[in-house]
Amino acid sequence: MGVDPTAASTKQLPSGPAHDALLKQITGELHDKGFVVANIDKLANWARTGSLWPMTFGLACCAVEMIHAYMSRYDLDRFGVVPRPSPRQSDVIIVAGTLTNKMAPAFRKVYDQMAEPRYVISMGSCANGGGYYHYSYSVVRGCDRVVPVDVYVPGCPPTAEALIYGILQLKKKINRTGVLWR
Amino acid sequence: MDLALKELGNYIAGQLPKDVSGTTVKLGELLVFAKAESITRVLAFLRDDVNCRFKQLVDVCGVDYPERTPRFDVVYNLLSLINNNRIRVKVETDEATPVPTVTGVFSSANWWEREAWDLFGISFSGHPDLRRILTDYGFDGHPLRKDFPLTGYVEVRYNDELKRVVYEPVKLTQEFRSFDFLSPWEGVQGLLPGDEKVEADDDDVAKGGA
Amino acid sequence: MAETQIRNFNLNFGPQHPSAHGVLRMVLEMDGEVITRADPHIGLLHRGTEKLIEYKNYVQALPYFDRLDYVSPQNQEHAFALAVEKLLGLEVPPRGQYIRVLFAEIGRVLNHIFTVCAYAMDTGAMTPMLWMFEDRETLMEFCERASGARMHMNYFRPGGVSHDLPPALLEDIDAWADTFPKMIDDCETLLTENRIFKQRTVDIGAITAEQCFDWGFTGPNLRAAGVAWDLRKSQPYDAYAKMDFDVVIAKHGDCYDRYLVRIHEMRQSLRIIKQCLADMPGGRCKSDDRKISPPSRAEMKNSMEAMIHHFKLYTEGYHVPAGETYTAVEAPKGEFGVYLVSDGTNKPYRCKIRAPGFAHLQAMDLLSNGHMLADLVANIGSLDIVFGEIDR
Repeated sequence: MGVDPTAASTKQLPSGPAHDALLKQITGELHDKGFVVANIDKLANWARTGSLWPMTFGLACCAVEMIHAYMSRYDLDRFGVVPRPSPRQSDVIIVAGTLTNKMAPAFRKVYDQMAEPRYVISMGSCANGGGYYHYSYSVVRGCDRVVPVDVYVPGCPPTAEALIYGILQLKKKINRTGVLWR
Repeated sequence: MDLALKELGNYIAGQLPKDVSGTTVKLGELLVFAKAESITRVLAFLRDDVNCRFKQLVDVCGVDYPERTPRFDVVYNLLSLINNNRIRVKVETDEATPVPTVTGVFSSANWWEREAWDLFGISFSGHPDLRRILTDYGFDGHPLRKDFPLTGYVEVRYNDELKRVVYEPVKLTQEFRSFDFLSPWEGVQGLLPGDEKVEADDDDVAKGGA
Repeated sequence: MAETQIRNFNLNFGPQHPSAHGVLRMVLEMDGEVITRADPHIGLLHRGTEKLIEYKNYVQALPYFDRLDYVSPQNQEHAFALAVEKLLGLEVPPRGQYIRVLFAEIGRVLNHIFTVCAYAMDTGAMTPMLWMFEDRETLMEFCERASGARMHMNYFRPGGVSHDLPPALLEDIDAWADTFPKMIDDCETLLTENRIFKQRTVDIGAITAEQCFDWGFTGPNLRAAGVAWDLRKSQPYDAYAKMDFDVVIAKHGDCYDRYLVRIHEMRQSLRIIKQCLADMPGGRCKSDDRKISPPSRAEMKNSMEAMIHHFKLYTEGYHVPAGETYTAVEAPKGEFGVYLVSDGTNKPYRCKIRAPGFAHLQAMDLLSNGHMLADLVANIGSLDIVFGEIDR
């Protein structure tokens, strides 16, 4: 995908004959010479998007949909997305649910513990902007007040499919903007 | 059902004449008004008496009536598994007067009393551990009081210079929209929009006349 | 040998812990690996639901109940709908009652699948979750077909349900109910006699019936201690009086028994679902009181009066006569009660939500005292704690 030795095209090829031909070419080159040449930032992006490990940060209702996305029917494992219980091991944090004032410092601490490059998916209307609890005295009106957010997934709660779409959008974003050092 | 509850209410009032100030049955639910200082005795009686056997304290909560003195109700909901009925005990109190704790009678009252303290500022004397429970660490005020604003006073934000989450006064981009739907013939609660101008004009006219 | 100073140490558990079932924070006092005191800190998901409800009218307040216990949203709605009906003195037509019971039981199965599987995962078994969640998806699809939302249905309304069921949904639920017992059996082969699972759960967090009363336990946790108490049986609401089912009890009141009660309650729920499907009456699914239940879309297009009612109901809402009630339902987690005080306006004056998990969690110190740290996780899992309802 990002490994493109000949044509310096930035566009991702759709699967099909052209894609197959490219793969064959790369395999042939690898077989022939024993190495391939690639842009290192693109290679890094390809590696990053291939295994986005999210931190399981289930706060409220959206956590249930997030769990459903990991489970057998939607199976996020197909995309290399495996939930991690520790911030040190994870690349992306999915804020699934209402972030309250009491939780905000803990949430920020978890985010600070994550290693760069790190991404944030804000899931559900509560995390996006307070949603149904916007006017409450104890709710943070959007988790972007506490951490920078890359992708917002709307819904109350978003379906598991919507979350998967959000993760795919994040992959696109990484492919487009990611560099080695952020 | 109602009749049996009424009888039970009369029985309780008869047994505890000094502590119970009245009983009613409404919507098939028995309500007992008790005196705040004797709530421990009332609940212990309801738990142990052979005709009551309200062995489970289901809920304790506060209700705020700001225009009334004393302003708070503390409501205890009890359940009897043996007689299959429920009872509600109410006591009245204000901000200054503590209600004796019932944690000695029902252990489960512990957190509910903490919650009533947290949300209403009703204090319970003799409570083993009366801390805030639901609201934020270092929260100021008692949110479920009617005079506490819905959006509270503070909100949090991450401050990039201080590298920590900071508290700031609430600033809303759009105010909470609350409409007064009470039609005039159902009793006007607040002033209708524009009415305050009429009042002001009247005052001016009165001053001018004098 | 010189005497060494032995000091207990404090351990902070959570709020971000994979088996804390959300945002539980516990401050533990440990003597080696033995817990001497557990102090749960809750409120990390306190969203001010009760305050918000006071500012919304009855129609707008209902969806907050979905978001309390988000593992079984239907049952919470049920409690609020029943409380409002009680104050309004409203009768629900039989079809509405049956649909509500049907979905309340679907909610119970949803909840117990989640609890049992999450519990199994906490104690080290991944497979039940992978297997059973397929059924959870199927059930959520049913919810979606009935109401349009997978989780937060907002389907039970005071006076009945919001609209009638789509065609063929009942047949599909019936077909699912035939296949699900096999799934429960499969789950049981993984867990019930599993040596590791039993070692993790048997005799852990045991509680007696007397202690249960003292600490306000209800629901499966109370029944696991041997008390045959079920609000669906003892104080039946809606169509439960017509249903034939057994109250599941166990004897020891430990974590393993709490698991067993839940497994068998799923089977009983299936029995109720089957009866609902077999006896589903025809007719209206919501009250025909035009001042409370909104008219259908088609009616609105033709009738001026329906249009006015619709407009009034969705702006002002309805006024509930002054009064107060404590109405409880048997939610999957225990007795879920709503203490509703109305002052005659279109907004609740006070709405206290009695969450079963709140009472269960405060007994955590009693349950965990003297157990190992790893047993704490088993205890949390077996109590079936969801923070939406505890912190509100």
